[in-house]
Amino acid sequence: MEIQILFFNSIATFQNGVDGIYSQFQNYYASTGSGLQGVPDILSDNVVLVSTGRRSNEVLYDYRYNPNSGGAITLYFSEAYEAINAANLVIGQIDNLADSPEKDNILGQALMGRAFAHFDLVRVYGKIPTQSGDANSSLGVPYIKVEDGDTGDPLAQPARETVASNYMEIIGDLERATGLLATNNGEGRFDRDAAFALLSRVYLYNGEYQKVIDAANQVSEPIATPAQLPGVYTDSNNAGVIIEFSVNTSSESNESNVGVLYSQSNSSSTISEYAIEFDFFNSIDTTDVRRNVIQFVGTNQGNQYNAVKKFLGEEGQVNGLLDIKVLRAAEVTLNKAEAQYRLGMDEAALTTLNMLRDLRFSSYDGDESGTALLDAILFNRRVELSFEGHRFFDLKRLGMPVVRSNNGDIIDGSGTPPEVLTLPASDFRFQFPIPTAETQANPNFEQNPGY
Amino acid sequence: MEKRLNGILTLLLAFVVQFTFAQDKTVTGTVTDDAGLPLPGVNIVVKGTNSGTQTDFDGNYSISAQAQNTLVFSFIGFAKQEIVVGTQSLINVSLGADAAALDEVIVVGYGSTRRELSTSAISTVTAEDIEDFVPSTSVDNILQGQAAGVQVTAANGRPGNTAFVQIRGVGSINASTTPLYIVDGTPIDASDVANINPGDIASFSILKDAATVSKYGSRGANGVVLITTKQGKPGDAKITFRSSLGYGEKIDDPFDLMNAEQKLELERQYAALGVNAAQSLPGATASPEELQRLIALDTNWEEELLRKSYIQSNALSISGAEDKLSYFLSLGYDKNDGIIDRIDGFERISGRLNTTYQAKDWLTVGMNVSMARSTTDLPRDRNNVQNPFRGVYDYNPYEPLFLRDADNNIVVDAEGNNVFNPTSTGFPIARALTTEPENNRNFLIIGSGFADIKLTDKFSNRFSVGATSNRFNRTNRSVAGGLLQSFVGDANFPGTQTDTFSLDFEYNVNNIFSYSDTFNELHNFRADFLLEYNENIFTNLTSTSRGFPSPDIPYQAVAAEATAASSTEARRILFSQGLFLDYNYDEKYILSGSIRRDGSSRFGPNNKYGYFYSGSAAWNIARENFLEDSFVNDLKLRASYGTSGNQNIGNFEFLNLLGFGTYNGFTTAIPLGVGNPDIKWEAQAILDVGVEFALFNNRVSGVVDYFKKTSDDLLLDRPISQTVGDENNAITANIGKIENTGVEVSLKGDVVRNSNFIWTIGGNASFLDNEVLELVDGADIPNGTTRLVEGQDVYSYYLVRYAGVNPANGEPLYLDVDGNVTNEYSTADAVLIEGKSPFADVEGGFYTSFRYKGFGLRSDFIFKSGNYILNFQRSSGISALNIDSNQRVEAFDYWMQPGDTDVLPSPLFGDTADQTSTRFLEKGDYIRLRTLTLDYRVPSEMINSFGINSLRIFATGQNLLTFTDYEGDPEIGIGSAENAQPGDQGFVPGEFSLFSYPQTKSYTVGVELSF
Repeated sequence: MEIQILFFNSIATFQNGVDGIYSQFQNYYASTGSGLQGVPDILSDNVVLVSTGRRSNEVLYDYRYNPNSGGAITLYFSEAYEAINAANLVIGQIDNLADSPEKDNILGQALMGRAFAHFDLVRVYGKIPTQSGDANSSLGVPYIKVEDGDTGDPLAQPARETVASNYMEIIGDLERATGLLATNNGEGRFDRDAAFALLSRVYLYNGEYQKVIDAANQVSEPIATPAQLPGVYTDSNNAGVIIEFSVNTSSESNESNVGVLYSQSNSSSTISEYAIEFDFFNSIDTTDVRRNVIQFVGTNQGNQYNAVKKFLGEEGQVNGLLDIKVLRAAEVTLNKAEAQYRLGMDEAALTTLNMLRDLRFSSYDGDESGTALLDAILFNRRVELSFEGHRFFDLKRLGMPVVRSNNGDIIDGSGTPPEVLTLPASDFRFQFPIPTAETQANPNFEQNPGY
Repeated sequence: MEKRLNGILTLLLAFVVQFTFAQDKTVTGTVTDDAGLPLPGVNIVVKGTNSGTQTDFDGNYSISAQAQNTLVFSFIGFAKQEIVVGTQSLINVSLGADAAALDEVIVVGYGSTRRELSTSAISTVTAEDIEDFVPSTSVDNILQGQAAGVQVTAANGRPGNTAFVQIRGVGSINASTTPLYIVDGTPIDASDVANINPGDIASFSILKDAATVSKYGSRGANGVVLITTKQGKPGDAKITFRSSLGYGEKIDDPFDLMNAEQKLELERQYAALGVNAAQSLPGATASPEELQRLIALDTNWEEELLRKSYIQSNALSISGAEDKLSYFLSLGYDKNDGIIDRIDGFERISGRLNTTYQAKDWLTVGMNVSMARSTTDLPRDRNNVQNPFRGVYDYNPYEPLFLRDADNNIVVDAEGNNVFNPTSTGFPIARALTTEPENNRNFLIIGSGFADIKLTDKFSNRFSVGATSNRFNRTNRSVAGGLLQSFVGDANFPGTQTDTFSLDFEYNVNNIFSYSDTFNELHNFRADFLLEYNENIFTNLTSTSRGFPSPDIPYQAVAAEATAASSTEARRILFSQGLFLDYNYDEKYILSGSIRRDGSSRFGPNNKYGYFYSGSAAWNIARENFLEDSFVNDLKLRASYGTSGNQNIGNFEFLNLLGFGTYNGFTTAIPLGVGNPDIKWEAQAILDVGVEFALFNNRVSGVVDYFKKTSDDLLLDRPISQTVGDENNAITANIGKIENTGVEVSLKGDVVRNSNFIWTIGGNASFLDNEVLELVDGADIPNGTTRLVEGQDVYSYYLVRYAGVNPANGEPLYLDVDGNVTNEYSTADAVLIEGKSPFADVEGGFYTSFRYKGFGLRSDFIFKSGNYILNFQRSSGISALNIDSNQRVEAFDYWMQPGDTDVLPSPLFGDTADQTSTRFLEKGDYIRLRTLTLDYRVPSEMINSFGINSLRIFATGQNLLTFTDYEGDPEIGIGSAENAQPGDQGFVPGEFSLFSYPQTKSYTVGVELSF
């Protein structure tokens, strides 16, 4: 007895398929051990390893990863391609549906999902176009499109494409999606705002600054106010959140507790894995509302730490289970300010930046230009987007090294300092190694230089 | 009429005789063999009645009879004798060897035969062989060391855990290597074996070669274990009661852990050397007064977390047979609460009723039914702080069980309870055991019924139906206010509970139509035609809730909300036809053949059906004239060749599947895996050549077999590019070939046998060699620390080679991939370690048994040699990076000054030293005294007057002695269930040690009486 069903035959079942794509994103963004929500911060100068923790992800923190390393190295690679497979399944069968705005909205979500997963792959395993002069011609990833006949053969062994060609296809899928997506698909799903917001980031990574500004201008979601901001991180409100991977903490209470990346807490103690770097935290203005959003005092074994507060849990919780904030209006604003600066529009850039700063703290200069302006944009980007998976990619795309201070893990800067203090700008470890499993199963998949 | 009159006359006479010669009288005597040696266990029955007895150890018996009665003396292997009582009150009997002494009946595939007529390599283990000496709660453990060619590895020491049983080596890579278990004709899951009462078992037949396993077709490739349960024997109801009590404990480690003073000193030394990880530890920072306080707290964590287990076993059986009915009824109770303090272990209650009834001359029917319920508490078998066995080794000895304040007083909570010390690991396991409980319950029913119909002298038919049903319940809780809840629980919904309910139901219907004939009194011929249908239906239901008002109410009904639920149903069907042919010429020259066709739902339309065949021959040389009356009692040569299959893979692997889950509360559909429509069974071919012999009046006997087993078309996961987006990044495909060759030897002999003293020794050994012949595209298959490589041993280790300590600076050295010495550690330098794998070259068991009058002493040893174990447990006990945990005393022996050799690396190089390498690869050879049993049979004359037939008192020790060079316990199955569990892909039993439930030693005393 065999039952074969044409499952994708209605808007509702296609939405199941699209929600399947989101669930694949959640698999790698929210992973308790390796979530992309936090790993780029662990790889950066935002945190310091806490010696009384479980030393999880120490391999990443000390840049000791290699093609045989598990965890994040293998997780993003396989899960992102699973998201792509899920997206191609939807895209390939989309004509089972009659033409309608609902059909377009399904297709738009799937196209955006496919673009997003490829974007993650190429920024993790390849270079970022603005990172260095050779980036565009360097190794990207295979861009898998059902329309091009890239799917269906389980024994296919695609070779790597270039970074430039990847960005072209990512932008192609995203631009197409902007014309298809509905204006609001509810929490946790891509919509028109989401596509433009992501485009503003992709253009920034690709150095297309006018397009950053144009895309940012299409985004309608306002920045979270100071009053709203703390509630964003306890899922009390969604102000300023444009893309998130959501969890229903009731029916999905066994989902990944992403906050565990930073700490495990109970009411009396906090076993931090990573604390906020001493200099970084103390460089934030004391009037800045973000200080309390980012930090709380964690106590373990008699020591106090600058524990990470973002992603501690929903209101009243310390279980680390909550929605993943992938892209917020504040980032769109910062993308725009940075693009304006790159185009020499210092004044416009300052205005854009101050829109954000006004909502965060009062005692800023507000008058910067030139390098000081860029520094202000980047500093506010670091603070605003800290612990949301940006810092490593921002340093990487700017061609900057990771430079850590020699401060210790304890709240006063004493304690155990990091083992590795710098990752030079040109270091090969800015690109993750391709997992051995892939290079073995697919000899055409070239390993990154250095590994 | 004459006859009738005779009858009446006899009856009258009987009355008269009884009237005249008072009542019964007691007849006593001794039964010996033709060499004058006493024969214990001889059955003596008053002919035509149900009354009977057995001789005791000295061959003595005592029975009530009347003068006109006839006593029948019978004993396996000896000719039956009948003696009229008459006036005698002392009757000594000497039994002569039966001409058909070798008519031992053995159970083979789909029937039974006389051993003499079998062409197959079969190991049998009978209850008589073992039940007096091998107390065990689990059936599979009993087989260890008892039968050649059967490799048994205890999974770990957890009571009730199922052992890994392999027959003739590893015959598969991805599909299961567990043999097919059949109880009285009904197939059961290997995991259900632990729920059979060992006391019910009459015999095991282990089918090893093609002559018999081919009859099981697609299920036979891993060998077949046939379990036959007991039937009533002719005579009055025999009631046997057996009870034993004892305790078990962790086997002492062959090394010492540090005490508080030593550990603090090591911390001080490390900190002084500049080891970062030691700088903040108390050994480095504490004041002298504080150090004294900590030393005074010296804690033996083994005592705090473990205990002596309590072991109890009771069994009662009532059996007998009269006229047309035979019955065997049993009840059993077993308990072993395990060595982990604060949780319960294993408990089983079982019952059985086996009956046969001769309904008509031409019809015999029978039914066997057994039920068993078991419960187990499960500790978390993890390589982390949630594992109490890790805690025993990790917790620092200066950290006591309960938190202390500055004055060394135990801290109490608001309710006045002592507060458990979270220790430096942050996880008080002693508390977690009670707040994070997991409990499993199984209820297993095995039932089978048959009808034997004798159609004519030549044609017969046997129809049988069997079913097994195992209900499995698991409850996992994380109780409100408990340890894990405070970390990962939802503050608004305290406590979670998950209940799993599954029902594994399998039924088997088969019919065998048989024809047997003899031509010219020399040509014996038999044909059996088999039809068999087997279906398995598995259903599963799981639900999870959260928000419990009280930790004391473990039911989801009281929870605030249900958070998850799921159900599954899977069906598997196998339909088979078979034809089995047997021929012999005067029982001297024997030929057998079989062919079977299987259809399985596990394979796609392209490969649904498979054929399996075998051919075999044997020559009973002992029956030739030239060996008549010689010292050779039995000599048989045999050979067989044939095929079988393995279909123990997941269902539906030939289909593309869609998986369903949720995202943000909405249903999701994602592609689950890429199917392969062309997969088919793994095919196996076995060649076997063997010789069986018995010499000197059967005092020395043995079996030697050579075999070559080739497993082809192995179902391997062919790794595919991850860009395909497959959930497993692999498809299942029939590629791969491995070969096992081996020699098996079993020997047994009576060294001394005289009227008071018998000394028997016996044993078996299997010499095994395996090789990977073919893999996907010739590419290695990495499997953690082992690897499959063409031309190499199966699962050879694949590690970086350790090259010792640099005497100049204490740095650990390694060999790079080209064999050059380097001070860098890189996983890229891992190479295949040829000839070193977790599989033994030789394993087996031997025993020696002494009997002096009523006393018996028997020791059973098991041994294993040639296997290697990655000793991660030692690695973490001498790890500089692990200095925040307790260490082995051995850790003091580190490099201190230039010139030091034969030392551990300097702790300054923990980063490179504490890496996985051949540094921790050790030989796993061992010999273990598995059981030592002392028993005493009370002489029958002392107890007969109480109506007791036999009384035996015994004391048994298990795992009392171990001889090994391995730095830990070498008997390892599961290293850590977190890393690899049976059933996981690439799981290799005994590959590494990592804090799984350790083996235990135990001491029990017991009594067995029957009346």
